[in-house]
Amino acid sequence: MTVWKTSRRNFFAHKGRMALSAVAVLLSVAFVCGTLVFTDTMNTTFDKLFAATAADVTVVPKAPEKDNRLPGNGKPETVPASAVEQAAKATGVKTAEGVVSSTSVTVVDRHDKNMGSTSGGPTIAGNWTGNALRSMEITSGHAPRGPTEVMVDADTAEKHHLKLGDELRTITANGDIEARISGIATFKVTNPGAAVIYFDVATAQTKLLGRPDVFSAISVTAEAGVADEQVKKNVATALGDTSAYELRTQKESTENSKDSMGSFLDVMKYAMLGFAGIALLVGIFLIVNTFSMLVAQRTREIGLMRAIGSSRKQVNRSVLIEALFLGVVGSLLGVGAGVGLAVGLMKLMGAMGMELSTEDLTVAWTTPVIGLVLGIVVTVVAAYFPARRAGKVSPMAALRDAGTPADGRAGRVRAAIGLVLTLAGGAALLAATRADKSSEGAPLLGAGVLLTLIGFIVIGPLLAGFVVRVLSTVMLRMFGPVGRLAERNALRNPRRTGATGAALMVGLALVACLSVVGSSMVASATEELDKSVGADFIVQPAGGGGGLIVDQAAKALKTVPDIEHFTEYKVVGARVTAPDGSTGSEGLVAANPSYKDDVRRETVSGELAAAYGKDAMSVGETYATKHRVKVGDRITVAFKGGETAKLKVAAITSDDVNIDKGAMYVNLTTAAQYVPADALPQNMIMFAKAADGKEKEAYAALKSALAKYPQYEVKNQADFKEQLQDQIGQLLNIVYGLLALAIIVAVLGVVNTLALSVVERTREIGLMRAIGLSRRQLRRMIRLESVVIAVFGALLGLGLGMGWGTAAQKLLALEGLGVLEIPWPTILTVFVASAFVGLFAALVPAFRAGRMNVLNAIATD
Amino acid sequence: MAARARQVVKAYGAGETRVVALDHVDVDIARGQFTAIMGPSGSGKSTLMHCLAGLDTVSSGQIFLDETEITGLKDKKLTQLRRDRIGFIFQAFNLLPTLNALENITLPMDIAGRRPDAAWLRQVVETVGLAERLKHRPTELSGGQQQRVAVARALAARPEIIFGDEPTGNLDSRAGAEVLSFLRRSVDELGQTIVMVTHDPVAASYADRVLYLADGRIVDEMLSPTADQVLDRMKDFDSRGRTS
Repeated sequence: MTVWKTSRRNFFAHKGRMALSAVAVLLSVAFVCGTLVFTDTMNTTFDKLFAATAADVTVVPKAPEKDNRLPGNGKPETVPASAVEQAAKATGVKTAEGVVSSTSVTVVDRHDKNMGSTSGGPTIAGNWTGNALRSMEITSGHAPRGPTEVMVDADTAEKHHLKLGDELRTITANGDIEARISGIATFKVTNPGAAVIYFDVATAQTKLLGRPDVFSAISVTAEAGVADEQVKKNVATALGDTSAYELRTQKESTENSKDSMGSFLDVMKYAMLGFAGIALLVGIFLIVNTFSMLVAQRTREIGLMRAIGSSRKQVNRSVLIEALFLGVVGSLLGVGAGVGLAVGLMKLMGAMGMELSTEDLTVAWTTPVIGLVLGIVVTVVAAYFPARRAGKVSPMAALRDAGTPADGRAGRVRAAIGLVLTLAGGAALLAATRADKSSEGAPLLGAGVLLTLIGFIVIGPLLAGFVVRVLSTVMLRMFGPVGRLAERNALRNPRRTGATGAALMVGLALVACLSVVGSSMVASATEELDKSVGADFIVQPAGGGGGLIVDQAAKALKTVPDIEHFTEYKVVGARVTAPDGSTGSEGLVAANPSYKDDVRRETVSGELAAAYGKDAMSVGETYATKHRVKVGDRITVAFKGGETAKLKVAAITSDDVNIDKGAMYVNLTTAAQYVPADALPQNMIMFAKAADGKEKEAYAALKSALAKYPQYEVKNQADFKEQLQDQIGQLLNIVYGLLALAIIVAVLGVVNTLALSVVERTREIGLMRAIGLSRRQLRRMIRLESVVIAVFGALLGLGLGMGWGTAAQKLLALEGLGVLEIPWPTILTVFVASAFVGLFAALVPAFRAGRMNVLNAIATD
Repeated sequence: MAARARQVVKAYGAGETRVVALDHVDVDIARGQFTAIMGPSGSGKSTLMHCLAGLDTVSSGQIFLDETEITGLKDKKLTQLRRDRIGFIFQAFNLLPTLNALENITLPMDIAGRRPDAAWLRQVVETVGLAERLKHRPTELSGGQQQRVAVARALAARPEIIFGDEPTGNLDSRAGAEVLSFLRRSVDELGQTIVMVTHDPVAASYADRVLYLADGRIVDEMLSPTADQVLDRMKDFDSRGRTS
């Protein structure tokens, strides 16, 4: 038990030196636990919502064949009204109600301002039913009673300052609904961010579904005491032929909704956990360094322990037990901080419009367990090597004057291993750039990234020696003897400098890599836009989101003067049968012939213009090769909701593009010939070209034509490029934000290394002060050392990251990322910023060194 | 006079727990002389040296280095003074482990941004017999060699006065004798002023003058001492201390 006692005393004696390591553990554990609590809370919120909104049994139209490439046509699938009556007659059914629900709507106020969700949540329009009463209650006014009345949810009303009597216009695929607010309904559970509006049944049916005698679903309420499963069977019997329906009990409905939501939450969860993992990795460096330095400083003490009879094992164990204390303290605090972080995230989401209630805060029992186990295991594992080194201290160390620990030299074995790993990684990266298929190159790229990273970490101490000398000649020499002292100090223990720099390297390498890929994406897309887009203007749903352009908006656009041509772009679903007999679901692009000038495509055979001829079409190169289709062949196209046509292939387009890759083109008139007007989807995009010299006028006119439809945006080419850049920039900013955690931990590492080495060099500093080094010079020396370590880490990280990014771009060139662009301003900023980070990290250690009492420092024992 | 102390008092704590380390001490250090300060443990000899050298502050009284009053100087001025006008030799840990012998020797001048006088430097290095070892790091030198490097550093900047705090305390007698004879020679041949704190009668016998300190006061002094004389005097103090 003495081992416990000495460990505990050591731990508390050095709690100051342990503090930063504890913070590193705390941060990583907090991030992991915060992520878990946050996603669990989201799950709870949605579970409650789904459970509250699902009827005992729900009958929905059978989902058509799932194909993600096909967008909906803005008109939801339906069940006939007669089925509702049939269901109501089934035994055990208390009530059966037809429910109308559509998310293809936009609600605007009198000033044409969008009243929809601000957080990316859906806008749901439907009829007010008994089922809705499960989750909501009318808190003011009354339910809508006619085509001019609408009810909104209280959250939306509050967010947009709506009150009873306000006018709202609801834009649907079947025309606008102008109505006044007759009532406001409040959710009984947390509504994370959907905007919900209700109409009376007739209005909902005609405007949302396009027909008066259909519903989106049937909500069945069971009689008391009858099981949902039984009711489901009875309803199925009552409906007779159920091939067109899918029946779900409340449990099944909830599961179903959870599944579709769950995958999104999972992506978010694992992405955040990934970043937490990176921070944890960086934290390991910090812990290794702390324990290495503590062991070095305590060499004499450990020697004494060994001399008076402690075994190697005991010494080893005592260090590990100290690590255990550190892990427990850091993790416990981390779990607590994690819950706080989750609440903070919820508040942040709240500020962005996504409401989450702290009442739903969910801390699963696994969360603290995972946090604790992770924190403790990582800390103890990180302390393992320093502990082993402590065990190897000879009893003679007690007798030697260990004023300063001996220089740690990078071993040859280590150098060899590091070199081999780095070279292997480099070779893998090179191989990835030469891969013929991205699926073959991706594992190579991954292996290359991992190997070079580990290689650099292993070889770090060697590189530290080299890089610091170079840096020193470039920047330290101008600081004279103080610079030289800083250089020597940074070189004194290359292993330590290497590990401290490597911690910073990890985060910065990822930043550099992603910024290279990001700006290459922008550059490649811009180049392709310049090359292929001939249209002046593009009309799309705002924010780059999905959705279709309602006909009334398209009509409004077409009245704009100063336009040379408009192009409508629809995606029509069809079963396509090639001459070789294979059949598949495809989305055909139905557009005006002018489209070939709006977005230019190369053909490998045939003329694109001919594909817009009567009963003609084009196919993509990949499809043509796969199914051995030649120009002149006939393809059978069974249009969804329309007739079957035999279309002649008039052109085969090259697939070496990003826009419309693999698209099959038909003329809009050809599609209209086989598909009835009400089954033809709405436009997905519209293109326009201004009459010569009228670009400005046309642009302004298009904008004002869309004023009534705030859900759409018109963009000229410059806007489009800017939007592209913004989107990628935003994505990168989020990622940088998450990487900031790893970088903060790395900076703590620099502070830690400096603080510990200042303590370690107390006597040296005292001596220098005694023989005339001024406080200022002393502080500058420590600052320079810190800057050198930080810049060393930055150089390695940025170099490595740019290498990764370049390799990734070369590989992704196969997927259309053709242009490599190194974002020098970003790289340079990061580099300069890292020098400042070094200065910042040295603030406290330098201050403390400056305040050190000269007499205490030089006093002999 | 190279340095003077006038009515110097150094006290720690206050009230009941007040401890007086130096009790109204007056000292004159003559230029070009080798002065040893002796006394039993706790007599205040190290405190006196620290105060004279501007490493420690006094509670009252005045200290002059040449004509400069150093009591009351700010840290910045004191640091400059130590750098430019004073040399130090400590008992142990005299050298920076990251610098080689030559770099350690020129460190005070480097810090000050002055170029060392090449001829003088060569002479100093030769005097202490280190010409062969200038490129060695301290860890590659013996204890005696390390102290000789420290002596060379103290001499190289041509300070007005060198303070030694038990400079031979960690050395065996042969290496100690070597270092002490260098100090002696630097006084005789180079005209250097040296003040050394020691409790070793043999070391004190190299000095021109020995000051005896007891309970924070100068109680005696001896000119041109021999080791035996010093030892006798010390024994005398010890027995007196025991009887009183």
